Amino acid sequence: MLKSELLESHNVFKYDEKIEKAVKEIEKLLKSSYNISKRSIALLLLQEDEEITALVKSRETSFPEISDIIKKTKMLFSEPLYYVITMQRQKKVDEIVSQVVRTRNNSKKLISNWLDKITVQPVTGIPILLMVLYFGLYKFVGEFGAGTLVDFIEGSIFENYISPWVNSAVKTYIPNEAIQELLAMDYGIITLGLRYAVAIILPIVGTFFLMFSIIEDSGYLPRLALLVDRVFKSIGLNGRAVIPMTLGFGCDTMATLVSRTLETPRERVIATLLLALAIPCSAQLGVILGMLSGMPAALAIWASFVALVFIFVGYLAAQVLPGEKPVFYMEIPPLRLPRIGNIIEKTVSRMQWYFLEIVPIFILASVLIWIGRMTGIFDAIIRLAEPVMMALGLPPETAEAFLFGFFRRDYGAAGLYDLKKTGVLNGVQMTVASVTLTLFVPCIAQFSVMLKERGVKTTLAIVAFVFPFAFLAGYMVNLILKTAGVVW
Amino acid sequence: MKCCHDGRKENIFSKFFKRIQDANSLQSYAKRKLVLVGTPNVGKSVIFNKLTGAYATVSNYPGTTVEVFRGTSRIGGELFEVIDTPGMYSLMPITEEERVTRTLLLNESPDIVLHVVDAKNIERMLSMTLQLKEAGFPIILVVNMMDEAERIGREIDLEKLSALIDVPVVGTSAALNRGMDRLRKKVAEYVKKRAA
Repeated sequence: MLKSELLESHNVFKYDEKIEKAVKEIEKLLKSSYNISKRSIALLLLQEDEEITALVKSRETSFPEISDIIKKTKMLFSEPLYYVITMQRQKKVDEIVSQVVRTRNNSKKLISNWLDKITVQPVTGIPILLMVLYFGLYKFVGEFGAGTLVDFIEGSIFENYISPWVNSAVKTYIPNEAIQELLAMDYGIITLGLRYAVAIILPIVGTFFLMFSIIEDSGYLPRLALLVDRVFKSIGLNGRAVIPMTLGFGCDTMATLVSRTLETPRERVIATLLLALAIPCSAQLGVILGMLSGMPAALAIWASFVALVFIFVGYLAAQVLPGEKPVFYMEIPPLRLPRIGNIIEKTVSRMQWYFLEIVPIFILASVLIWIGRMTGIFDAIIRLAEPVMMALGLPPETAEAFLFGFFRRDYGAAGLYDLKKTGVLNGVQMTVASVTLTLFVPCIAQFSVMLKERGVKTTLAIVAFVFPFAFLAGYMVNLILKTAGVVW
Repeated sequence: MKCCHDGRKENIFSKFFKRIQDANSLQSYAKRKLVLVGTPNVGKSVIFNKLTGAYATVSNYPGTTVEVFRGTSRIGGELFEVIDTPGMYSLMPITEEERVTRTLLLNESPDIVLHVVDAKNIERMLSMTLQLKEAGFPIILVVNMMDEAERIGREIDLEKLSALIDVPVVGTSAALNRGMDRLRKKVAEYVKKRAA
């Protein structure tokens, strides 16, 4: 059989006479060949599918006649044809299903139904969410990952063994001081770039991805979406946006990509903006949790301020951007016991993906910083940034961390972490710096995905908003804390 | 999160998916094209992983796959290019991701389309099977998550279903690797029959 014949020989069931008559008439008028059956093209035309209509219009001289048939058929029904056709097809499906599917009652259903309920209802759902956040994020990622593990790898292994060894080896074997600085010392590829990547970021991201995979596979996220649907509506998004937003806590770059699952362009822009502004990625989050975990009050201020910004900016954006309000509809998959194999595979593959992404960038950043230092550009930029830092009440060294933040969010956070350890920052300064850095520009990878997904104009507008906003917010936090007379 | 959108391999994500890229280099030898379609969260990516040995992120929430994902697989002695697509609810697209999938179906003229459905919610998904059939695509219906359907006390007569809609049907629990061999066999048979 020829391919075109094959296409036309698949007539499974018939719609009602009026529709079938229109389909037959349209089929006859379709002269050019399509990759799908003419029956299907005719049905899509009747349902006013934009793409197919445009395609047929460009190919068929008889399009006005087709248009007439569609118009006439529409008059025969009180509902839109899309609805009529879908309902007729669904009726057929129900007929088939009633013949092949049988359901016995089962007691296991009850337990999962109960679990289902308590995760979705606000009274029980919010405490469950808080528990997930406290144990999953704060305890496991913040304290264990960013605390215990980082202390061990960075404090014990790097500080005591690797860094001194590399520094002395470089000093002994490489006479050129500039090259020494490129490889080792304060800003070297090995002692800064690789140390940040392996000792600070890796354990944090690893623990985060592990926890995230478990939560993700259990089916909890769609239930969370139901729970927060109402809050999200007020910022112009619907519950569905929970997925890109929660993914953002893993990696904003990935999340910006996933924001295309949102239905309207308006929602996509709002989601992209919020991801760029107020959602810290896992590494950044982990470092900040680790850094502020000694001071619960500072952590609380940071978290509530960022949450406030999230809701405030989202609300504003929803007011400013025109477009229809979203409707919420989502498949809710069953709660499942996560499979260990899948969890491990996913965590490892994400870490691998992440690591392959960050190591070259961290090395590149080290090289750029080295070039900047050798040529004096680095110092010049930091001197330029100093007044800004002063305005935020921060020591001039913090400018370095922000400069790092340009390359990657987490690189900047790791820079702050370093400053905290050396005792340069006090509590108030750390809070201000964390807030500013969280809101500050998206990293290079996220930026490029924004360009690809949302286009140049939107991206530049978002960046132009985020950049001054971050510093203004930091300034305000500093002002508030100062006026309140907070001393940490 | 996914790479390899046609002709856009320059983007920064391509390098993270080395394994898939490697599989891509085989593309030129692959003669047959197999496309996985279905609503979000029915296990398309699991089946993709099992067929190709490559890794696509699998999770328990809808919409994890937002771009087209390609790999290669040998089924019944023949080389297939396997394509994983973003979820789609019907042949009339609403979201951007659905549009991606339909455009792919229209342009790539697949040799075989696996419509993956969730056995637990088959009544909401068969409608698209009918649409795909209507459109003349060479489809096999993959009723996945049979284990979960059984657990909630649901029995599906797959043979009768196949007869009623005139489409080959395979039951699988892809995550547990159940039914995958049967699926491969069905694919090989179907392609051979169509060639004849």
